[in-house]
Amino acid sequence: MRVLYIDTSSDYLYSGIVIDDKLVSSIKKKYEKDLSKEALPKIIELFDEANITPKELDKIIVVNGPGSFTGIRIGITIAKTIAWALNINITPISGLTAMAISCNINTYKMPLIDARRGYVYGAIYDKDNNKVIEDSHIYLQDLLDKSKDLSDVTVITNNDLDINIKKESYDPDILKIVKTFENSDGINPHLVNPIYLKKTEAEEKLRKKPDYD
Amino acid sequence: MKDVYILGIESSCDETSCSIVKNGTVELATSTSTQIDIHENFGGVVPEIASREHVKNITIVIEDCLKKANMKIEDVTAIAITYGPGLIGSLLVGLQAAKTLSYIYNKPLVPVHHIAGHIYANSLVEELKFPLIALVVSGGHTELIKMTDHFSFEKLGGTLDDAIGECYDKVARVMGLPYPGGPKLDKLSKEGKPTYKLPIPLNDDSYNFSFSGLKSAVINLNHNEEQKGNEINKADLAASFQKVAVTSIVSKTKKALKDYNINNLIVAGGVAANSILREALADMCNENNINLSIPPLKYCTDNATMIASAGYYAYKLGRRADYHLNSLSTTALN
Repeated sequence: MRVLYIDTSSDYLYSGIVIDDKLVSSIKKKYEKDLSKEALPKIIELFDEANITPKELDKIIVVNGPGSFTGIRIGITIAKTIAWALNINITPISGLTAMAISCNINTYKMPLIDARRGYVYGAIYDKDNNKVIEDSHIYLQDLLDKSKDLSDVTVITNNDLDINIKKESYDPDILKIVKTFENSDGINPHLVNPIYLKKTEAEEKLRKKPDYD
Repeated sequence: MKDVYILGIESSCDETSCSIVKNGTVELATSTSTQIDIHENFGGVVPEIASREHVKNITIVIEDCLKKANMKIEDVTAIAITYGPGLIGSLLVGLQAAKTLSYIYNKPLVPVHHIAGHIYANSLVEELKFPLIALVVSGGHTELIKMTDHFSFEKLGGTLDDAIGECYDKVARVMGLPYPGGPKLDKLSKEGKPTYKLPIPLNDDSYNFSFSGLKSAVINLNHNEEQKGNEINKADLAASFQKVAVTSIVSKTKKALKDYNINNLIVAGGVAANSILREALADMCNENNINLSIPPLKYCTDNATMIASAGYYAYKLGRRADYHLNSLSTTALN
């Protein structure tokens, strides 16, 4: 089984190639504005390093959100185009799930991505990575309130959020993420789309107009 | 000579488009997903929504185009991509797809400037004859360009403020016409007479244009008449606006042709679809013995056919990009 993993939902490019039970090449690097320029060349380097061609891939796992809208589109477009060309399926996964899976800790897990103005993209998972609270675009305080009844919660984030519970930084365990999802059927690449969890501002404004149905 | 097949991709604004063109002049197939209906609700293109639509549609239009052409990407010579200018979030969807296809199929990647694409839409009708003056009129551009050979662009002048298409859409909006207002304003103007007095924009010796004053004049006129409780005759106002805007464009174009002693004029960009502008340019060219080329309506708006056509000439000139190619929201014609 040869799997390509791509996550461009933050300022980072997290990508890797897993062959059977081994992560044979990977990159974890911050790009910010250069992501559009650098993502594909770096993924090509991963193929070279793994000594395989894209045509030998069996599957692509791509993070479809939440996070940076532009970032997600870069990774998804690359994944869709490769998968379409090779006629293979894509398994889209939540970046928050990837965060929970990567964190080996025996508590509830609250992966968080800063969505600005007091909002976060967040969810809560139990220690076995089952979802307790679905991925949402939510006011941080509201999510913290929802977690009050849970005994022991660890926040996973790479953002500088003002929270008084214990925090772990996010370092993706690409092998573990891939092994978790490599046997899922996946879907046709045409159908893979970002999950933004948030409407555009223009749509929000339109919705507030009284004559909008 | 071996035939050259260019697969072009365009996603700079609100059309996701893929096309295959043979030898720069023969369109084999084009597939375009347009978003006009979606943006109509907002009175204009919403960049984030446009980007979201591009991601949904990109692989679908590529597949559809290949099916229509009955070709495989393996049969294509090179891949041409609009790298700018345009909406950055929209551009980069097409760019990632083009770069990825170029890598997977080991095909040369040819970067194409969006405006070069509009200009080369004319070569889908007949091959460009040099020297020529290109009049580029669109939602983002109003420019006069001199060309002495393929991809040799000398900008003679351009708008100092609003682009002509932008001005049309804004004026149409003030007059209560739904987006995209330009074509509706064009249609409405035919029912009216140019009875309203509007200022002639930038009537000077340069090749530059200015449309913000004209736009403000229409807005003010509309407002003042409303204040007075007078009903505006929309058709007359549309006709008055068109007359002044078109006269300005035609007179500067005529001046450029005359000053440089050039007798080939090509028109490019979405506003080339404007009927009054087409008529006025045709009259001016007839009177002055100028060869006029205006692409058919379907090539005037954004499409990948023109990108594939321009891509052919760029390919012939050896223009290539590597996988580090990035999208640029603004970039000079090159």
